[in-house]
Formats: sequence, structure tokens, C-alpha cells
Amino acid sequence: MEFYRAHVLICAGTGCTASESQATKEALVRELAAWGLEREVQVVDTGCFGFCRFGPNMMIYPEGTFYCTVRPEDVPELVEEHLVKGRVVERLLYKQPETEAAVSSFEEIPFFKHQLRIALRNCGVINPEAIEEYIARDGYLALGKVLTEMKPAEVIETIKKAGLRGRGGGGFPTGLKWEFAHRAPGPVKYIVCNADEGDPGAFMDRSILEGDPHAVLEGMAIAGYAIGAGQGYIYVRAEYPIAVHRLKIAIAQAREKGLLGKNIFNSGFDFDLDLRLGAGAFVCGEETALLISVEGRRGEPRPRPPFPAVSGLWGKPTVINNVETLANVPTIIRNGWEWFAAIGTEKSKGTKVFALAGKINNNGLVEVPMGTSLGQIIYDVGGGIPGGKKFKAAQTGGPSGGCIPAEHLNVPIDYDSLTSLGTIMGSGGLIIMDEDTCMVDLAKFFLDFVKDESCGKCTPCRIGTTRMLEVLERISMGQGQEGDLELLIEMGQQIKDTALCGLGQTAPNPVLSTIRYFREEYEAHIRDKRCPASVCAALFHSPCQNTCPANVDVPIYVDLIRQRRFAEAYEVIRRENPFPVICGRVCHHPCEGKCNRAKLDQAVAIRNLKRFAADYALSLNGQRPKPQVAPPTGKKVAVIGAGPAGLTAAYYLALKGHPVTVFEALPVAGGMMAVGIPAYRLPKEVLAAEIATITELGVEIRLSCALGRDFTLAGLQSQGYQAFFLAVGAHRDLKLGIPGEDLAGVYSGVAFLRDLNLGRPADVRGKSVVVIGGGNVAMDAARSAKRLGAQEVHIVYRRAKEDMPAIREEIHEAEQEGIKITCLAAPVALLGDNGRVKALKCNWVRLGEFDNSGRRRPIPIEGSKFIVPADVVIAAVGQTVERDGLPAELKVNRAGTIAADEKSLATNLAGIFAGGDCVSGPDTVIGAIAAGKKVAAAIDRYLGGDGKVVPEAAVERKRTAPVIEEKTARLIAAPLEMAERLQSFTEVERGYAEEQAVAEAARCLRCDVRE
Amino acid sequence: MKSLEELQKLKEEARQAIALREEGAKVKVVVGMGTCGIAAGAREVMSALLDELSKRRLVNVVVTQTGCIGLCVQEPLVDVLVPGKPQVTYGKVNAQKARQIVAQHIVNGIIISDWVVNK
Repeated sequence: MEFYRAHVLICAGTGCTASESQATKEALVRELAAWGLEREVQVVDTGCFGFCRFGPNMMIYPEGTFYCTVRPEDVPELVEEHLVKGRVVERLLYKQPETEAAVSSFEEIPFFKHQLRIALRNCGVINPEAIEEYIARDGYLALGKVLTEMKPAEVIETIKKAGLRGRGGGGFPTGLKWEFAHRAPGPVKYIVCNADEGDPGAFMDRSILEGDPHAVLEGMAIAGYAIGAGQGYIYVRAEYPIAVHRLKIAIAQAREKGLLGKNIFNSGFDFDLDLRLGAGAFVCGEETALLISVEGRRGEPRPRPPFPAVSGLWGKPTVINNVETLANVPTIIRNGWEWFAAIGTEKSKGTKVFALAGKINNNGLVEVPMGTSLGQIIYDVGGGIPGGKKFKAAQTGGPSGGCIPAEHLNVPIDYDSLTSLGTIMGSGGLIIMDEDTCMVDLAKFFLDFVKDESCGKCTPCRIGTTRMLEVLERISMGQGQEGDLELLIEMGQQIKDTALCGLGQTAPNPVLSTIRYFREEYEAHIRDKRCPASVCAALFHSPCQNTCPANVDVPIYVDLIRQRRFAEAYEVIRRENPFPVICGRVCHHPCEGKCNRAKLDQAVAIRNLKRFAADYALSLNGQRPKPQVAPPTGKKVAVIGAGPAGLTAAYYLALKGHPVTVFEALPVAGGMMAVGIPAYRLPKEVLAAEIATITELGVEIRLSCALGRDFTLAGLQSQGYQAFFLAVGAHRDLKLGIPGEDLAGVYSGVAFLRDLNLGRPADVRGKSVVVIGGGNVAMDAARSAKRLGAQEVHIVYRRAKEDMPAIREEIHEAEQEGIKITCLAAPVALLGDNGRVKALKCNWVRLGEFDNSGRRRPIPIEGSKFIVPADVVIAAVGQTVERDGLPAELKVNRAGTIAADEKSLATNLAGIFAGGDCVSGPDTVIGAIAAGKKVAAAIDRYLGGDGKVVPEAAVERKRTAPVIEEKTARLIAAPLEMAERLQSFTEVERGYAEEQAVAEAARCLRCDVRE
Repeated sequence: MKSLEELQKLKEEARQAIALREEGAKVKVVVGMGTCGIAAGAREVMSALLDELSKRRLVNVVVTQTGCIGLCVQEPLVDVLVPGKPQVTYGKVNAQKARQIVAQHIVNGIIISDWVVNK
């Protein structure tokens, strides 16, 4: 025996082979020879580690150092550093995404830490082409034990007690299946391994066959002994050439060692195996079709009964088991059924292998105990969703399964829990989808797949899936009709009830399950002809416009900026949004999150471009373009509240010729834009100038005029007002609900900002300020306190930082300005001295289960209290509607917001409409603008108009310049120097210079042009 | 394959070949392979160690290498770490001494104190 001081294991599975692991291996062999190390260091091909996202994977023993993405050009450094000098090459280690910290050991990588590898026990550990290495890891001991010590009935009993269920998807108890075949009469029986893995994106079975083929062989021999079969077949798809190659080697080695063949272990038991290659038809995963294909005929299912256990291959009793099921068998025999039954949940024992695919950081293969929650798999093992996007749903069971939405992240993954959610375990495909996935499109994809794969034997499947697909295609083209969903459900149910085989019976599942959980998304396609995820291309011009709540035609105005037609760009924005100057500064720009340019380099800086066009128009001193106003109608409208929702409605109603009066309780107009957002983000004169563009249309704003105090709706009615818009916002702070809230020095976030913006700021100079909360109000309050001369500002938030609802840039700027952020800390009490607050008492929290929003619930850690000293505490934990003064008969929701019809925004009182924060709860400026526009249309219709409040305009979508396809970085407008920032409330962001704006606009890919 | 014993025997042999990848308490031998060590003959020391371990079928030994620790005058340096015992560093090791370190220290547990530099 050679003594090698080091073993280098390189993944030779399909995933890493595709990442060219063979080239890396060849480079390694060459480099070792060059150093004369070929007799000291052994290079071993091994099976899949599962971390395919970072392939080629490499493991070096004895240190157990795990290297990721090792390319041939990395090899010289790796050999010299690691194998010659004994130093770990940090650069090639796995890096923790959040901390960038390098992790050298396999066990410390979170992806592996949460796994329990039973079926994959040898993958990435042994050389699959060396039977000795399998034997060294206790291989074939189980077969030896079974043949020398156990009767077939005892084997079956062991598997039954272990609770092993079929891993192919159905979950039928394996021991029971064996028992049926065992009891079936006749001397000739067969065992068949179903290695026809066909789910899109699934590769569990392939990896086991490639990484540990002997485990499957051993499992089959044991099963053969248990049922009395002397011959087995492995039905594997020809599309898996590496698996086929390794299986052939494994079978030859096992025969040579006498582990297959005659009289194995001198027990009198004869058993041999052969391969049958499938052509890759999905239907051949169905057991009856598979058997017919093994017999050499066209793979089509036949009705059951008789079940294969009674009459299978060539009419003989046959057991068909999946690859993963069989790979589990030897470990159960070796370790005992008690060991296996102790893993997993009550009815689902052991582990399950999943192929993690889709929108997930750690694509790859994972094996976890049954009962692990979906959230743990996605976030702990899978590393979460890339690009800071939101998890939307996971598809299990491939085309035969269904989806699980975010509200079920806590579901324990086992057969029965998944069935109760309307999906199935399936063979282990787990496709993760984020907010950019359209569920209609998803359903269409899977249905298209099964339609193609339908064998055509039975009518429901052949014609039914085609008909369902036609309906889905219609819906995604914007030609959906009322009743389509009912039609889909009815057809789906019919197919489920009448199709001949499992393929057909499960084919409608993806459609039915997406309708079950995402009906609203279907309805948006059918009724509003809108694809909220911006996928169904026929339903929108560009993802940015489609995502903008106010429907601003982004690519058109961006292109006008590129052409230096700035005033026209402003006009395009203003057609849909009366506040371009404000939104150019404070909008949370959901458009940029959907920008296709981000897939190439970075999103186009849409908000900054809007600001440039708007500031340009403002600089024209009244020479800017003005919209056309319709002739007066004389129908008076009262708007209650001069925030973005109220003023937007006033603007559009004025354009339609209605005389509008806006009543505002505060002494300033603008709502939260005036008293919520501080001047360093939105200067007061900019706000005033933009509001002036609305009053110049004839809109009257009456300040310091509060509903209930200064006037009533009935009173206005008697003055001739015919329609009312309640847009009173959400200005009342929620309480913390902890002791000490009434101490002096404790403020609420909105009240603190309101006082500041009305020119009577709280005195925080030289004080320690603690802000509680993670939203924009908290960030605004903290950054304002810093500017007011606070000595120290500290934000305390109870969830994780990535769960903060504030705009990312705001959090970043706050930290830049020296504000300390402590997350995972829940306030418990405010401590005082002589009636003044002195400190905040907190509890550390850990993150528990997922709540309905898909965020982890904070759970206090016992005995972890800590004190944060504070002279001033600002509680910014959310707001609700101030209902004083609202009509008593007005219907409100449980959450305290005004109840209004989703479409018309009409309240329960005739002629009274409501919208903005007072209906939705605290939302964004652009959300309020969208609501205001919707209400304006509803009121116009109510007053006899056509409801078309947005002026029509002809838009020509064509490229005016070639698209820049090379990588081009997003241009940053330099912000105010840090030294100047904290001295005053001077605006921090400064817009683009003209040349910058033109250059940035040229980065637009013009997704709206379809040629 | 005719008996479980035959399989067990095969397993024991095969296990030695992959023992390096298994966890567990192992004796660790570290050879100084910095420029100074290699110039002083560390490569020959390494080869001799591996050869001797291989002849004696010692599978619970891990051989690794390290860079210069500054004590260049004593190179080639070889550290022997037996689990639960203090580290022993031998200086001016050559191929023949390396073989004796395996035989005496690793197999018999006797430290060859004449060659130890970290007394």
C-alpha cells in the first residue's frame, strides 16, 4: 500500500464536470508531477458534494479543506501553497455572503452544517469507480448480513419498521411493496430500479448513481433477496452518460468480487443486474410505462390493477424502487430500523435529498432530515434569495407537484404536510421563486412540459392538457375572460379524475395549486390585463413602467433625456405623476428593482434621471410646459388632506374642469411630504414650488382647516360640494406598549418630525438619542436628531437588518453619518429618573419561525436584558389613522384604516371616496399618488365624466440610438460632503449635471421597444 | 465473495487507503518545508517518512508540511504531535533519522531526546 500524505478529491459529477472539473484535475496531475509529489499526493475523482453553485468542488485531506470553484489556473498556487508549503489558499475558500469571512472546513459552511447525509453518505467522500473505497466505508456489509443472518421476511420486517417510504414521490411504504411481491406466487420475480429522473431541474438520483453507484447495487441485491428475485434491472436515462458509465464499472467490479452472481456469500442466493437505457420520456418514470419500456416496447402506461408487485415485468411479480430509496436500504440494515425510525417525523422517516434550483444563492444538492422546515432549507441551507429579492414560492414535485407560498415557510417537509398544502414531496426537485416570477407563467411552463410529455394514450391527458394550456396562453396574452379560472379548475379536476396514469392525474397540479395560492395574480392578468411580476411580455411595455404604481412611462422619458429634450421628458413624467420634483428625490423607486440592466451591470438610475428632468423644468421659472385644462364643469369637489394622495386627485380633477378645494388641518400643505420627510431629503422650497404647479391650475388649498373642528362634510354638502375625497393620511403614532412611555423625553417618531418641520424642534443638543424602529420614519428621525446636534444617535430594531422596511439607501446614509444601528433587540421598558427618561431596557431576541410576511419572528432570549442609556427616546414603530373628526357612520377596517372599495375607492357613504395612507396604512409617496389618481378617475365618473383623467398622448416606441451592450457603470451624483451634512438640513443628494444625466440615460436598454 | 469474514478482511485493507479522510485521533507529523528546510534536505526526510509509514502500514498518522518558523539553523525540522501529549520538535533530521522517529517515537512511543530541539 502506498502511503499518501494527502488526498485531493475532485468532484466528477455532472455539475462540476460541466464546470470543467476534468481540466482542473488534469492541471493538478501535471502540477504534482512537476513538483515530484505524485507519490505523496493522491488525486481522487469523487461524486457530487452538492455545492454545484461553486463548482468545481475540491476537498483536500487530511486537513479537510474545502475549496470552491477551482479553475486550472488556480492549480499552481494551490499546489505550491497548500500541498508544498502547507498553507491554506484563502482566496479559494467558501466566503460567507454577509461577512465575506472565509470558511475552510466543510462542517462550518452553513450549506453543509444543516444537512444530514444518509443517501448521499459517500458522495464526495469516496471514488465511485473503486469498489474498495465503498467497501472501506462498510459497503456490502448489509448484504452480507442479510444473506448470512436474516430471512427474507425479517428483511422486509426491518424495512417496514424503519418506516422507509418511496423517495420517487408517491411515498408508498417500501417494506409493504416488498411484502406484496414476496407473497406473490411464482419462482421468477424482478427488482427494478427507477432511475428515470425527469423533473426539470432535479438531479438527486443522478448524483447518487454518479457518486455512490454501489449503494444502489447493494440496495437492489437486498431487495432481490427479500422478495425472491434473482435478476434486477436499472432503468436509467441515456441522458445520464456519467451515471451509466459508473454503473457499468460498478456492476463489473461487483461481479468480479462475487458480490453479484451465483451463490453470493455462500448463501445459495444468486443475483445479477443489467442496465436498461431509457430515451428520456417523462412518462417512463410512471411504473407501468417503465416496465413496458424495459421489455423493449413503446413506453405507455397501462391501467392498474394488476399492480406490478403481482404482475410486472413479463407478467412476473416486480418491485420498482427509486434510486434514493434503494440507497437508503443498506444503512437501515447496518444501523438497525430503530436508528432510521428515530430520524424524521412521525409518518415520514429518515432524510430527503433535494435539488435546490431557481432563485437561490446555494444552488445544489442537499439532504435534510424529514420535518426540516421549508424556511430552513431555503435560508439556512440554501443561503436565501439572491439580490435582496423577496421569496415568493417554492415548487416541489416538479410538473406533478405544486407551489408553497411564503406564508407556509414553516411547513415541515414531509409527505403528509406537503399533501395537505396541495402539493407533493415528489422526487426532490425544489425550485425556488422570487418576486420576479409570474405564477401564471410558471403554471404555463409546467403544463407545456406535461403536454409535450403526454404519451397520448388517454384522452383526458392528451387533449385536456392542451386545452388547459390554450386557456393559460390566452390569459398570459391579455385575452383572459371571466370564467377562465373556473374553467381551468373544472378541466383540471376532470383530468385528475379520469387520466390513465400518474402523469395525467398530476398534470393539472401546478395550475390548480398556483390558482389556490395566487388567484389574485391570475385575476390581475384576466381583469386588469396586468402581469404584476413583469413576465408576460404581451401585457406591458417595460418592467419599470409596469412596476411603477403610477404607471410612469420610464423608457420614453429616459430616452428624451438622452436626446436632451428635457422639457418633453418632464411632460411625459407629469402626465402620470404630478410630483416629478418630489419623486425624483424621495421615491423608493421600485422601477429600479426591476430594471433589466441590473442583469448586465447595474440598474439605470431612474430616480436621479427623473430628478434631473424635473429640476430642469423647475429652473425654467414658469416657462415650463403646462397641461391642458378642460372647460369648467361647475361640479365642486372637496379634498380632505393636502398630502400626495389629496393633491394628486386635486390635480387630475382640476384638469377635468372640476373646481377643487383642498382642506388641510396643518398650517402647511404637503402632508407627510411636508411634516414627515426632513428638509435634507426634500427641501421646503422644492416642495412649495411643486405644490404651486397644482394651485396654479385653480386648485384652492385652505390651511389649518380641520375636519370635525373647523368644518363638517354635511356643511360642505350644503355649500354645494358634490363629491368628497378623504385623504387624511396616517398621522397617529402607534404606542410601544411598554412601561415608561409617558416619561419626559419620550417622543413619537411622527410627532418628532412634525415638530421639527413646523419649526419647533425638540431639544436634543448634546444628548444621547435612541430611536426605536426600522422604517423610514425611524431613519428620518435619527438622521434629523444628528443634525439637531445630538451627541449620539442609536437605532434599536427588533428584527434583522435585512428585514428593515426603510429604503436601503436611507439605512446606508444613516450609518455613514455615524448612527449606530442595533438589530435583534426588543424594547422592554423605558427607565426614568425624576420623571425624565434615562435609559431604554431591551431584551436580545433570536429569530424564530417565519411569520406571514416571510420574515422571521423575533423571540426574546431569556435573561438577556441590557440597558441603553438615553436622554431622549423616539418611538417610530408605525402609524395609524387619526379618526377624530371623521363621520361616525364611516366604515373602518379592523386595522383602523378607512374601508374603501378596492376598485372605485368609494366608501360606504354616497359621494365620499377615500385613498392614500388612510386606506392602505402607511405607504410610499408614489403609492399615494397612484391612489389619488385612481380616486380622481372614480370621482370624475361619479360626476358624470368619462373617468379618463390622464391626458392621452401618442407614444412612438422605437430606438433613437443604439443600445449600449457593454458593461457600463451606473453614474453616481456626488452627495454633499460628510463634513457639511451634519451642520444643517441642507439637501444631501445633489442631482446630475447635464452631461451625467445624458450619459446615464443612454444606459437604458429600451425594453419597451419590441422589434 | 464467500463469507462475511472475507468481506471484513477486504474492508480492513481498503480502510487503510482512505483512513486519511476519516476523522479521529491521529498522530500528526509536520515537516518544515520552507526554503531553508528544503535546502537542508526536507524533501528526502518527507520521502523517507512516507516510505517508512507505508512499510509499517501506519494509517492513523497524518503527515503535513509547514513553512519556515525561523529556526533555520536546525532544519530540517520535524514536529511529532501525539494526541494528548506535548509537541516534540526534532532538529537536523535526515532520512535515516526520520525512519527512526517513525520506529521509536510513533510506533513505540519513545522520544529520541538527543535530537529534540524544544526541550
